[in-house]
Amino acid sequence: MASALRPAILRHALGAPASTRALTTSALPAFRAHHLAQRSPLALQRATFQTSTKRAILPALPQVIRGTVNDPVTVRDADPTHGSYHWTFERILSAGLIPITLAPFAAGSLSPVLDGALIGMIIVHSYIGFESIITDYLPKWRVPITRRILEWGNVLAVFVVGWGYYEFETNDVGLTEGIKRIWRAGSSSSSSSSSSSLTS
Amino acid sequence: MALRLASRRLALKPMPYAFSRSMATTVGNTKEPLGAISEATSSSSPPLSPKHTTTIKEPSPDPESKIKTFHIYRWNPDEPSSKPKMQSYTLDLNKTGPMILDALIRIKNEVDPTLTFRRSCREGICGSCAMNIDGVNTLACLCRIPTDAGKETRIYPLPHTYVVKDLVPDLTQFYKQYKSIKPYLQRDTPPPDGREYRQSKSDRRKLDGLYECILCACCSTSCPSYWWNSEEYLGPAVLLQSYRWIADSRDEKTEQRKDALNNSMALYRCHTILNCSRTCPKGLNPALAIAEIKKSLAFQ
Amino acid sequence: MLSQRAAQQALRRLAVQRPAYRYIVPAAVTSSNALVSQRRLAATANLSEAQATDEILAKQRLSRPVSPHLSIYRPQITWYGSILNRITGSILSGGFYMFGALYLVAPYLGWHLETAVLAAAFAKWPLVVKFPLKAIVAWFFTYHSFNGVRHLMWDMASMISNKQVNQTGWAVVGLSTVAAVGLALL
Repeated sequence: MASALRPAILRHALGAPASTRALTTSALPAFRAHHLAQRSPLALQRATFQTSTKRAILPALPQVIRGTVNDPVTVRDADPTHGSYHWTFERILSAGLIPITLAPFAAGSLSPVLDGALIGMIIVHSYIGFESIITDYLPKWRVPITRRILEWGNVLAVFVVGWGYYEFETNDVGLTEGIKRIWRAGSSSSSSSSSSSLTS
Repeated sequence: MALRLASRRLALKPMPYAFSRSMATTVGNTKEPLGAISEATSSSSPPLSPKHTTTIKEPSPDPESKIKTFHIYRWNPDEPSSKPKMQSYTLDLNKTGPMILDALIRIKNEVDPTLTFRRSCREGICGSCAMNIDGVNTLACLCRIPTDAGKETRIYPLPHTYVVKDLVPDLTQFYKQYKSIKPYLQRDTPPPDGREYRQSKSDRRKLDGLYECILCACCSTSCPSYWWNSEEYLGPAVLLQSYRWIADSRDEKTEQRKDALNNSMALYRCHTILNCSRTCPKGLNPALAIAEIKKSLAFQ
Repeated sequence: MLSQRAAQQALRRLAVQRPAYRYIVPAAVTSSNALVSQRRLAATANLSEAQATDEILAKQRLSRPVSPHLSIYRPQITWYGSILNRITGSILSGGFYMFGALYLVAPYLGWHLETAVLAAAFAKWPLVVKFPLKAIVAWFFTYHSFNGVRHLMWDMASMISNKQVNQTGWAVVGLSTVAAVGLALL
């Protein structure tokens, strides 16, 4: 509306010769309809934009600002156990997983001790991974009960799965050897070759 | 005066095409004396019927014109119950400036004055015109219009922000978070020579790539982690600013600054997705700054 | 000549502008009482600053939509690679957890999850099922592993420029695919 109130524009419009005006029309509403008709049906469909996004889980709540706009957000107290220590531990663990994952490819399979270490590290690594997924997608202020249940479930899973693999390690052939056997089941070189490096 | 009033009166109603087209004229002919126009609108001449006045043909498409379609996100707070929609505008690129902001300003001036967006400096130093253009957050003033006229451009406000109107996002939370990192020099000891806080050249060099940040919020709103956790996670832009003060050799509250970030949410919701560095219109690297913060927190 | 044309055009616009022409007397006729129709009927009310910020603005905020995000952000190796890392990790860990938990309860359910039994069962599957399945599982493993190495490099604040991120991102996709096919062939 603002620009429609500017008399200067009207003056320009009135003053310009007809031929120039035809050239300098920019909005081109006359062939906007033509252009619309040319577009594919898909584009037309997409033109009708919807707010109901597919993220049905926890859509954003109506906007609420705590305090005035000039207050800073609250800063939490330092909590290295869930901050820097946690992060550093996770990185060391991940870095430690590299050699122990590579070892069975070089050696065929692992000794029971190393096998157990690998399982333990994978479980803790998985625990941290699931924990970070829960923290990311289920905010504590939003779904406190679900979050608590899942966090305890995550802890419980560590013990259940740990116990399961303890049984597996004591009664069966061990993780790396087991994977190897199942992986090679039915293939021609099933039990003869001892090397399982990538190039074999 | 008569002309001014007359034009206002005409503008009371939504403009028909014939009228808006004439508004779109960009080549001015101001040599015409004003008197001629006031004569045109004088009370003595009665209004003519349309059949007497349709002397001008509808414009035929210019073969050299490069018509490009812009789909722009629209939402009007005056109709709060209505859903946001995409509105299409066509412009001839031959008559538009090179940047997306030029196109937006042209649309606002000539086609639809209700289109709302922020802009100020038009040269990438104020950060007002940050928006999502063709799926990537950037500054409209630094983003060239893709010259391929066949491809349509889609413009949205910054992703996962609350929309004030059309392309204007509400950045209140972003600014509140910025304030929480205390973005100013904190120092108790006076300078040794009593004049100014000096810094070695190598210390000053550490601030390169940090001080240039204009807080346009492109990186923060490109971060999926910030989308889901903007209540507690600070986001790349604010963390880069935080590192700008952590890295500053003159600042004496480095440990307090680090402690403020040392919890599960403020800093460590960063999962090095790296959309931030990819999208930064100023070519900065927030991901590197965050990695440096994490590194400095890890070994202390 | 020009002034004549301008006059004609202005009148034409007045004529075309039907609603304005119908409801309001043509501007040209009533320039004297133009201000009458310009009056805006607006009531004024005293408003404290707190009211303005707390009540009105807060109410406006409640009706604001959230701008689109996932659906409109351009697919890029950065965030697609990142979510893929999380998905592959979750599937691997999920499978790992599933087997561990099932192995624990299997004796009570009468299931046989011993390696020998599983291997014998798997051996009977046709190759067209076995090979893709192995390739997919192997790809989850290789992608997550290689991408994990990339993450560890970033955590040391290296290889984190845009160009390097792009290159290593696609390198990991290629490398993990090759490695997965290699593993599936074992």
